[in-house]
Amino acid sequence: MADQTIKLLVIDDEPIVGKRLKQAFMKMGIEVETFTDPIEAMNAIKQKTFDIVVTDLKMEGMDGMTILERVQKLNPKAKVIIITGYAQVDTASEAFRKGVFDFIPKPFRLEELKNVILRAMSGTLSENNKST
Amino acid sequence: MNILNSLKHIFGGGKTEGESAPLPAATAFERFRDVLRCNNSALELIADLGEKLSGDYIFDRQYIYNTMEGLEKAVLQSVHALNALCNNKYQILYSTYDRLTMRLNTVMENREDRDGVPVINIAGTSRSHYIIMGGKNAHLSQMLHELNLKIPEGFILTTRAYHDLIDHNGLRETLNAFETAMEASDCTVETLEPLRHSLEQGIHNAQPPDGLLSAIAEELKNLQSVFGEDLRLAIRSSAQEEDMYFSFAGQFKTILNVSSTPMAVFKAYLQVVASLFSPKALRYRLRVFPGEGHMSIAAGCYRMVESNASGVIYTIDPADPGSDAMIIVSTWGQGEAIVEGRVPVDTFHVQKKPPYSVVSQNISHKNTGLYPKEEGELSESAIPLELRNQPSLTASQIERLASYAMQIEIYYKRPQDIEWAIDRNGDIYILQARHLVIPATAGNKGSLADALKKYELIVSDSGSVAQQGIGTGQVHIVDTISDLNVFPDGAVLVSKRDSSNFIRVMHKTAAIVTEIGTPVSHMATLCREFQVPCLVNVTDILTKVSDGMEITVDAEDRRIYKGRVVELLAFKTATDLNISATKEFRLLKRLLDNVSSLKLVDPLMDEFTPEACETYHDLLRFIHEKAVAQMVEMGKDERRLLKDYRAVHLDLPIPTGILLIDLGGGIDATVTGDKVTFTAVTSEPLKAILEGMLFPGVWHTKAANVSFGDLITSIVNVPTDALAGQYSGHNIAIISKGYLNLSLRFGYHFNIIDAYCSDMTRDNHIYFRFLGGATDITKRSRRARMIAIILEAFGFNVASKGDIVTGRSGNMPKSEIIRTLNILGRIVGFTRQLDVQMDSDAQVERYAEAFLMGDYEIIGR
Repeated sequence: MADQTIKLLVIDDEPIVGKRLKQAFMKMGIEVETFTDPIEAMNAIKQKTFDIVVTDLKMEGMDGMTILERVQKLNPKAKVIIITGYAQVDTASEAFRKGVFDFIPKPFRLEELKNVILRAMSGTLSENNKST
Repeated sequence: MNILNSLKHIFGGGKTEGESAPLPAATAFERFRDVLRCNNSALELIADLGEKLSGDYIFDRQYIYNTMEGLEKAVLQSVHALNALCNNKYQILYSTYDRLTMRLNTVMENREDRDGVPVINIAGTSRSHYIIMGGKNAHLSQMLHELNLKIPEGFILTTRAYHDLIDHNGLRETLNAFETAMEASDCTVETLEPLRHSLEQGIHNAQPPDGLLSAIAEELKNLQSVFGEDLRLAIRSSAQEEDMYFSFAGQFKTILNVSSTPMAVFKAYLQVVASLFSPKALRYRLRVFPGEGHMSIAAGCYRMVESNASGVIYTIDPADPGSDAMIIVSTWGQGEAIVEGRVPVDTFHVQKKPPYSVVSQNISHKNTGLYPKEEGELSESAIPLELRNQPSLTASQIERLASYAMQIEIYYKRPQDIEWAIDRNGDIYILQARHLVIPATAGNKGSLADALKKYELIVSDSGSVAQQGIGTGQVHIVDTISDLNVFPDGAVLVSKRDSSNFIRVMHKTAAIVTEIGTPVSHMATLCREFQVPCLVNVTDILTKVSDGMEITVDAEDRRIYKGRVVELLAFKTATDLNISATKEFRLLKRLLDNVSSLKLVDPLMDEFTPEACETYHDLLRFIHEKAVAQMVEMGKDERRLLKDYRAVHLDLPIPTGILLIDLGGGIDATVTGDKVTFTAVTSEPLKAILEGMLFPGVWHTKAANVSFGDLITSIVNVPTDALAGQYSGHNIAIISKGYLNLSLRFGYHFNIIDAYCSDMTRDNHIYFRFLGGATDITKRSRRARMIAIILEAFGFNVASKGDIVTGRSGNMPKSEIIRTLNILGRIVGFTRQLDVQMDSDAQVERYAEAFLMGDYEIIGR
């Protein structure tokens, strides 16, 4: 049987976000890698297949929207979730048009993101099962 | 005939001098509500910030900045609103506001370590000093003041002294450049070298800032007067973050066995400070706090304990973090040899529960130990032959050490690494306590989720997180406050509702679970302050656990397991993922220390002043209180009220003579005429009071047996307030749907009740004042005491002076306010004429007891 461990990648230029998410999702049995530098994160995405990518919107170097586009090109199955402290309706609808899985304004309860990730996971797992 | 009214004419009643014309009642009420509104928006922001600290949220720096900005504005609005209500009487609050806001800016800029005194005795330290004491000293202060453990006597050279040292020796610019360099993402010890080196040299050659040597001399003199001239000191480093989230173990210098002269202490101090810039310490800092440049250092100057035996305790076994044993390592002489691994040691595995039995022990052959040298420092000496194979601790010493260690672990809610010493008198001293850090075992990833499956879940995905964390222990159900008196160390507190009274046991609680409650309650705030893992609003928890049952609370994933979940305990010990160590988290915590703690607790105490406000929360509390006080006085100006408003008579089956002035929603709008009955009253607080007064048996019509002497007293001794015009001819109730200001005069005594109730718990208040009586001051005071006893029993803050009793209560849900007002109604009725019966002190207790038992008929008997 294929390894069904979900692989999650978190990109946020504030270390607290990645640290917190890593702590929470590791406990759920998810494999988590965190990056504060979006360029480094993209390099990692090129090397390895992640099921879920959680990214900040506004970052130095590369913004979340660009990450969304590139991830979709590299791995169309990956679910991208954008989190942002600068929530704007425009950006949200643009992100949804571009196929973001969900869009969450900061600050948010861990529970909210957890639920979004669980939804993303159930999709991923059923797709994986279909393909095996 | 109305004696008081006649007296009022003689002495001239009316307004108090020096006050400008009061606002019309309706305007005052409107502005009062403005104050509540403003206070609420500020308090909501504070609650919002507090919740983020629970660990259950993802937030970033921007959130902190934005919210703090909003909060500053909101608090200023509250100050405006109070002044609008009170005719600008509280201008002083603007400077209070400025003081607090400036302090917060200092915290935001990470500069609060520059405030305060350069030298302070550890005995005189408290919470507010922690920030300038450094982590290690702050922990010792907690050992001493919170846990009542013995620590060596001594004093602290604070971070303020460090900044003085930097400035006095012209090192500020170099330090600024150094800190900026450390913030760079590509910073290494090598790139820092030139700056680092010049700081280290600059410190080694530094001259003492003005006043430092004399302050040290003063402290030394005091210590010498107790411990003698030949007192020796240990000068220990205590950097800002040392021993807090990361141990910094062995990174900074400690100088032992220093002679007690100011110059020797200063020289040793310089070595400690210089170690902040050692390559070793910098490498560590770059690893644990990457991108952070600022860190200051304090030092603790403690008496050297001449130890018979000393050592280290790990409250968990790093090799088996989930097990039920701690490790005590011990040797003869000074303990420094142990952490340096220089001498043979005894090792004891000891159970973490009373009676702290030794599970296993390894007694080594201890041929050498460390002892102080005459000329300073320590040297290795031979241990006397007969002691070499003897255990360095007795069974009873082990038991005491273990119980102290558990006290400390439970207080900090994390496994601890504790250094201790036992002196020649057998006294145990705690030298240091810090979190025990065990790296998460690699390759363990993902297995936790599987491991947890084998435990029985009592609760899953239920309730809200008030404070994140993991705690395990035996259930102790708290029904009434008295259950807290027998709270076992390390138990899990389970209760129907939450209460800020739980603070009494928070230092020994593993976790708290409540069936109702919210993450924004006072208790939740306290849980965050004390880092107590806490779940609230957990449905039916009381039916799922019982007293003494062992459970593990995971207040991260909102789960409660039966038994001890060792895997979770091991997970908790892995601190490389410790969220509270991050910069944003620490900033938010420090800000909240200066925003949300409440120092002004009792409005009836003398300290309830603008000067005493230490936080925004204090200021808001003060504003609320003064707004209430302003409203309390509203009923005073009876003539004007009756001129401005149409008053209607309240027709009750008992003769109260109450006139109603309705500001809106207090009387059923469909009722017309000059008289209304009880059923037409729609003011909720008034209705509650009247229900209390009309409660069967409360109102006694039987004329009190007033003696001739009592009658004379009542004519001659009019309470002073009556002369100020507070006694009025009518009983007036100013009401609205949720508000009541009631001035009641029955016979010769006077009540004011001011109350507000709404769905917003924190807006609600009750103010109660009682004074006067027909009899002599002794009898009146007895009645006042009786009222005070009753009020206290119902949770009021009470102040009494002679025959005046003032009670304050509030911040409770509407239903509680209504229930309490009903009780006040009963008190008013019950005590109406009681003073004449107060012919002995014994009556005070007797009548209070009768009232509390509901035996209102006692008066008629």
